[in-house]
Amino acid sequence: MKTVMTNRRWIKQHPDLGTGPVPTDTCTSPELFELERERIFRRSWLNVGREDDFPEPGSYVVRDLAVANTSVLLVRGKDRKIRAFHNVCTHRGNRLVDKEKGLCKGRFVCRFHSWAFDTSGQLTWVSDEANFYDIDKGALGLRPIAADVWEGFIFINLSPNPSETLAEYLAGMVQQIRGYPFGEQRLLCRYRVEEKANWKVILDAQNEVYHLPFLHITYPDFCPMNEQKFSRIQNFTRFGRHTAYSVELNTDHQMKPVEAIAVGANPRGGQVHPSMIGWFDFYTVFPNFCMLFLAGTYVTYNIWPVAVDRSVWEVSMYHPATDKPSERFAQEYNRCLLRDLLQEDASNHEAIQASLESGALTHFQFQDEEIQIRHFHKEVRRHLFGEENGTAAARNGRETTDLRLK
Amino acid sequence: MSTLLPNNFSDLEEFAGWALLTSTERNRMRRTTPMAEINAFYNAMQPRLAEVLAYLDQFSLREMPQDARRLLYLSLALAEITIAVELFHEPKVTGGCDPERFVVIREIDP
Repeated sequence: MKTVMTNRRWIKQHPDLGTGPVPTDTCTSPELFELERERIFRRSWLNVGREDDFPEPGSYVVRDLAVANTSVLLVRGKDRKIRAFHNVCTHRGNRLVDKEKGLCKGRFVCRFHSWAFDTSGQLTWVSDEANFYDIDKGALGLRPIAADVWEGFIFINLSPNPSETLAEYLAGMVQQIRGYPFGEQRLLCRYRVEEKANWKVILDAQNEVYHLPFLHITYPDFCPMNEQKFSRIQNFTRFGRHTAYSVELNTDHQMKPVEAIAVGANPRGGQVHPSMIGWFDFYTVFPNFCMLFLAGTYVTYNIWPVAVDRSVWEVSMYHPATDKPSERFAQEYNRCLLRDLLQEDASNHEAIQASLESGALTHFQFQDEEIQIRHFHKEVRRHLFGEENGTAAARNGRETTDLRLK
Repeated sequence: MSTLLPNNFSDLEEFAGWALLTSTERNRMRRTTPMAEINAFYNAMQPRLAEVLAYLDQFSLREMPQDARRLLYLSLALAEITIAVELFHEPKVTGGCDPERFVVIREIDP
């Protein structure tokens, strides 16, 4: 599919997204952040890692999710199933596991009174048990959290009764991405970036390519551009709450000497997999998970809210596993290039947040090539305020939030 | 007589100090080295890069002689400084955030 270089007007296919300005209030209001906690993060399927993070039975990871006010213990059981629990001893509520990750060879033992739980969450030992009254160990296992796996990605849902399965939640994405060789890829590196910015400010900055020729001035021609040198996406698709936008390879891009050698040494020649829509596909998996497929590699972002004005951006880069030094060189080039471009992006996030907090700007303006962000904010508002209000908010962006908070 | 790098690449010996083991160290070295020195490293190694990679590809990443491994790390440092030379024309990311904020929490070795 060739990129349409004229003004495509994606909005014609998605009239429900509206064309008006979109309120900035969800990026600055502490009250709306509390609503996001309850109505988005405590109800949505959230990516918390990959199966590879749990190489053997007993492998565990503790994730403190500030946005949900909870600590989650993820552990692979003897049956190889990965389960999620609240990291809380069922005796009197002590934090059960302190280490960030590790291998549990036997049981998780609470340091307070030595209650012990196996890797499937069962309470297996109560010290001085006979001195309790009618204690039912079978009912005092770790409090479970719904967990499921899609293509090796582990998701949890903090709702006691999730209204959708993970597959239902991911909707048409499952079919689109099916067959992508995730199993052949290995984690090259993971960065953690603490930012004084709302999680959506960080996500929005990645969710378009309009900014590329301007902000990334030293690498302006990543994607095909029209005669006016404005970027154009190749495709935009909505999968329920989620979106994908795609970019075609820019064959006019002039490569520099080392860049050309790195591109030439790319594993498998940087082939595009049939499950990909373009040469670069960017998926926003609602709410805070992004997957970027770029030729033979992929990158994920997990953008974790900490407070209305603070977030942690996790960037994970995956490349085909290799033993070949020249491919490792190409991977390192890709890594350094992306990291530096993301540092250009990150320089804006905190500035945007500070500006929004000044109150100077009540609404964002989005053009047709930013329709992904329009969709995303509509979804945020739909989750916060309900179907009708979310649509109205996207359509006219005029109403104040005060009324709806009552 | 070369001792640090394989014999055919003894001309790169003077840059062996770039053969650092982690991305964080290589990035810090880039940011604290004057551009003239970065350019000198690039200008010396870029014309040899295809040869370097062909030489390294005789080995597997898991099993390499020590001098070849050092040459591999030198090539990874070239990847790092290439961004400074081919994109920014200065050691740092022009207009970028504080690079120390990008904390590596996991990475492959090598």
